[in-house]
Amino acid sequence: MATIEASGLTKRYGGRTALDGLTFTADAGQVLGLLGPNGAGKTTTIRLLTTILEPTSGTFTVAGVPGDRPGRIRQRIGVLPESAGYPGRQTGGEYLRYAARLFGRSRRDARAVADRLLTEGGLGDRADARISTYSRGMRQRLGIARALVNDPEVVFLDEPALGLDPAGQRSILETIADIAEHRGVTVVLSTHTLVEVEQVCDSVLILDQGKLRAAGPIAEIVAGTGGLSAAFLELTGHE
Amino acid sequence: MNEWSVVARQESRDLWIGGRGPVLLFGFSVLLSTITYLAATNRAMNFLEQREAVNLTAQVGLAVGVLLTVVTSADAISGERERGTLEGLLLTPVSRRAIVVGKLAAASTMWLGCLVVSFPYLWVLGHGVAGATQAAVLALTVGTLVAVGLGGVGMLFSGWTNSNKTSLACGLLLLLVLFAPTQLPALPKTGFGQLLTRVNPIGSALHYISQVLVSRRPWTHDLSYLAAPVVVAVLVLVVVVAAGPRLVRLTAGSR
Repeated sequence: MATIEASGLTKRYGGRTALDGLTFTADAGQVLGLLGPNGAGKTTTIRLLTTILEPTSGTFTVAGVPGDRPGRIRQRIGVLPESAGYPGRQTGGEYLRYAARLFGRSRRDARAVADRLLTEGGLGDRADARISTYSRGMRQRLGIARALVNDPEVVFLDEPALGLDPAGQRSILETIADIAEHRGVTVVLSTHTLVEVEQVCDSVLILDQGKLRAAGPIAEIVAGTGGLSAAFLELTGHE
Repeated sequence: MNEWSVVARQESRDLWIGGRGPVLLFGFSVLLSTITYLAATNRAMNFLEQREAVNLTAQVGLAVGVLLTVVTSADAISGERERGTLEGLLLTPVSRRAIVVGKLAAASTMWLGCLVVSFPYLWVLGHGVAGATQAAVLALTVGTLVAVGLGGVGMLFSGWTNSNKTSLACGLLLLLVLFAPTQLPALPKTGFGQLLTRVNPIGSALHYISQVLVSRRPWTHDLSYLAAPVVVAVLVLVVVVAAGPRLVRLTAGSR
C-alpha cells in the first residue's frame, strides 16, 4: 500500500522552477532514497511533502492524508530537516519532551517517550546535558529521535549524515535501517551521498534541476551501467 | 492543555531559565534603582513632590518595560528563523495561530517581570500616600495594555522580516517615534498637539497616569486617553491571530 503518492508536484519561486511535475509513490516499510546533486530539488520535495511549503501545482497524499490537510499530515510524519537548528540552552530531554507535548502527548507520556528515544539513540546518559554541549553526531541522533516522537508512519530525513565522520555516518545509517525494519515506517532519505543510498535504500528517485530523471529499485536503475555512481552521473548529465 | 499554552510555557522557560530574561530584568532593576534614588533625593530636597516622584518612576518603568517586551517579541519569529529552529516547530501539528499566540504570551512575561520588579520601588517612593497603590494598579492595567499592544507589533515585525536585526530595528524605531513626543516640554493642549498625544499609545498612557497620580484626577476623568492603548492592543491582537498563518512561515513572505 502506498504511503506517499505525489502527482505532478511543481514548485516555482517567481520565474525559477525548483521542482517540475514530480510523480512517484512509496510503499509502507520502504526506504526511498532521494538522490540528486546540489539544487536538484530534494529539499524542496521534502518541504512540500511535509507541508512546510505549498506546491504551485500538483497533488499529494502522505500516510493516506491529502496535501490540503497539513495539520493531519504533520501529525503522522516525522522529519529531520536539512541543517536543523537546535536550541542550545535546552537539554536533550527537555527538547524531546517539548516536541512530544507539541504532538499532543500528556506530560507523563512525553517524559516516557523522551526517555525511551534518548536511550534508544544512545543519548540516555546525556539527557540532562545542554544541547550546546552535544557533538554534531549526537545532535543528528537527537534530531532523528525527535522525528520519531509521535510514532510516525512516514519519516523524512534530509541529509542526516552530512558532516559526520565515517563512524557517525555508519551509526546514522544503522539507525535508519532499524527504523524501517522494526517500526515498519516509510523512510524518505534525501542525500547526495551514493554510498548511503546503496547501503540502506530499497529504491531511489534521482532528481536533477527539479526534474525526475529516474525512479525505481536500485537494481533496475543500475542495470547495464556498472553501478549507482555511473548511473547517477549518466542520468544527471555530469559525466 | 491548549496548543498555545504548551508553546507559551516552553518559550517562557527558554526566556527565563538560562535565557536573556534575567539579564534584561537585572538591567531594568538597576535602572529603576537609579531613578528611584534620584527621585527620592530630589524629593528630600523639595524639588519633587512625593506623587511626582512616584509618577516619574512609574513612567520610566512603563517605558522601559514596554521596550524590553518589544525587544523580546521582535526576536520571537525572525530569531528562530536565523537560528534554524523554526522549521522544527512548523513541522508539528500545532497551528500557526497557536504558535504566534504562545510566543506573544511568552514575550508578555517580560512585561510581567518588569511589573513585579517595579512594585517595591513604587512602594518605597509612595508609601504614606495613596500614590503607591494607584501607581501599581495603573502600571498593571494601563502598562499591560501598552505592553501587549506594542509587543504584538514587535511580533508582526518579527514575522514579516527574515532578519532579526531588521525586526529589532523596526521595533526600536517605532518606540522612539512614539516616545519622543512625550519628552517635549509641552504640547499644545488643544488641536493637533492633543491629537498627537491621544493617538500615541505611549503618550496617552503616560498622560493618563500623570493625571491620576500627580493631578489627582478621578480615574474616570481622562478615561478617553486610554482609547489609543485599548484600540492598539485589541487591533494588534486581532491582526496577530488573523495573520498568524502568514506570519509563521519558514521564510517571510513565501508560501
